Amino acid sequence: MAEIGHGGKEIVERIMEPAEAKKKIAGLTQIPIRSQIANEVIGISYGFFAPLEGFMGKADLDSVCKKMRLKDGVVWSIPILFDLSDKEISDYGIKKGDSVLLTYDNNPMAILEVEEIYDYDKKAMCADVYGTTEEKHPGCARTYGYQDKFLGGKITLVNRPKINPPYDPYFIPPLEMRKRFKEKGWLRVVAHQTRNVPHTGHEWLMKGAWFQTYAELSIEKPLVGVLVNAIIGAKRKGDYIDEAIILTQDELRKSGYFGDHNHLTSLTFWDMRYAGPREAVFHAALRANLGLTHHMYGRDHAGVGTYYGAYDAHHMLESVSKDLSITPVYSMNWLFCPHCGEITSEGLCNHKDEWQKFSGTVIRSIVQDGVKPPRLIFRPEVFDLVMECADKYGFGSPFVTDEYLEKRIPVFSIPSM
Amino acid sequence: MAEERFPINIWINEDRFEKLKAAGLADMCEEMLAGLKVLRVYCDEAERDKVLKTFPTAKYDSATTKSIELLPKDVKDKIFDKIVEKKSVEIMGDFLNAY
Repeated sequence: MAEIGHGGKEIVERIMEPAEAKKKIAGLTQIPIRSQIANEVIGISYGFFAPLEGFMGKADLDSVCKKMRLKDGVVWSIPILFDLSDKEISDYGIKKGDSVLLTYDNNPMAILEVEEIYDYDKKAMCADVYGTTEEKHPGCARTYGYQDKFLGGKITLVNRPKINPPYDPYFIPPLEMRKRFKEKGWLRVVAHQTRNVPHTGHEWLMKGAWFQTYAELSIEKPLVGVLVNAIIGAKRKGDYIDEAIILTQDELRKSGYFGDHNHLTSLTFWDMRYAGPREAVFHAALRANLGLTHHMYGRDHAGVGTYYGAYDAHHMLESVSKDLSITPVYSMNWLFCPHCGEITSEGLCNHKDEWQKFSGTVIRSIVQDGVKPPRLIFRPEVFDLVMECADKYGFGSPFVTDEYLEKRIPVFSIPSM
Repeated sequence: MAEERFPINIWINEDRFEKLKAAGLADMCEEMLAGLKVLRVYCDEAERDKVLKTFPTAKYDSATTKSIELLPKDVKDKIFDKIVEKKSVEIMGDFLNAY
């Protein structure tokens, strides 16, 4: 049976079998790609980005910028682009109609069928997508960093990435994910978007979203799951290391705060654009492709600084709700109330003068100060695993350092063919 | 209207608590977040901006806690030492004079 993804289109993996791939890539011009592009090649070819079949052409890009839709009308909020400089295009001798081989780790990764080569006003793109043209916005900075030409065309993966330990169990592409959900008997699954090690505020965001999603369903057997979908991409110094993020998210299940019956951890390769409302819509498409029925959104989802209002993402999601196959679940903040002696929702507790709010940043600060937070705030199993990850993967630190950036285990590699 | 003040949370680990006890200052600690001991050192707006400029890893958590976080531990140790020396948490102006 066809698996239908975002936009009502069937999810089809664009992956060539090895024997055929070896023949097809022979003699093709080879173009090395950077990690962002490799991440997006995986996103396209495994169906995370369905209905995209490749990097966007100008008509799609223009439509995405101006209307937040692909040229065929499907809602799409973030440009997915492959850029090269004029000189590179000239040096490689690339022209419309060519097929080229994209390489990563010096090994063949994917074939790009070059359907068009074009340019686009980057400042206008930033204004449309990010609502600002300021270079300090990380999405704008990424856009201004693109070379001056874009190549649109279909992508076919010719060499599956090897996902390295400890990440390998968590790479679950859309078609496989949907099988897992069926095996678990989940009728509804709610997405928890994260780039963080979980504190109990996050844990309760998930639990609250699980309750909201469960709604009127029968409680005779488990029918609803939470999918933690960690975004793995470009890292900044001071972030938690990726290994700590993915393993601690799963630790909540392993340590019994959730269970196999209601919790699964996975990852998606993506370099966050911090596009706020537009990133929220992108996440809806991505998680719809993964087979989720619901998506949790908190305040200022995927925002940065003060560029977006706390509820801008919610409003944008509402504006396209008829075209999304995923139901947003809006979550209020969870906090510690000393009067209640528990983690509670700001929508429930009325001891407002006593509330103690906490955030991932505060927890990082506590950990940096060499203090083990109380279990009501940060689970001891999570804390211990963070420290273990620091030793095992982080060169002594659970946070990204220059040494980590230089020597870290790559999340995936492209094997030789 | 009172001027807005922005706390730096000095979380009290065992080492810091021993120093506070030795200086007779253990009572200065507040308790937060289900049992964590903390000293809250307050900055005014100008001091907050200087802290963020002087120590680029520091972050002002504008969304949730309205506190200045992620100062390097050695900087927090120096702030802590200044608190112990002055027996007060009103030390940020003095502390920042060195920068």
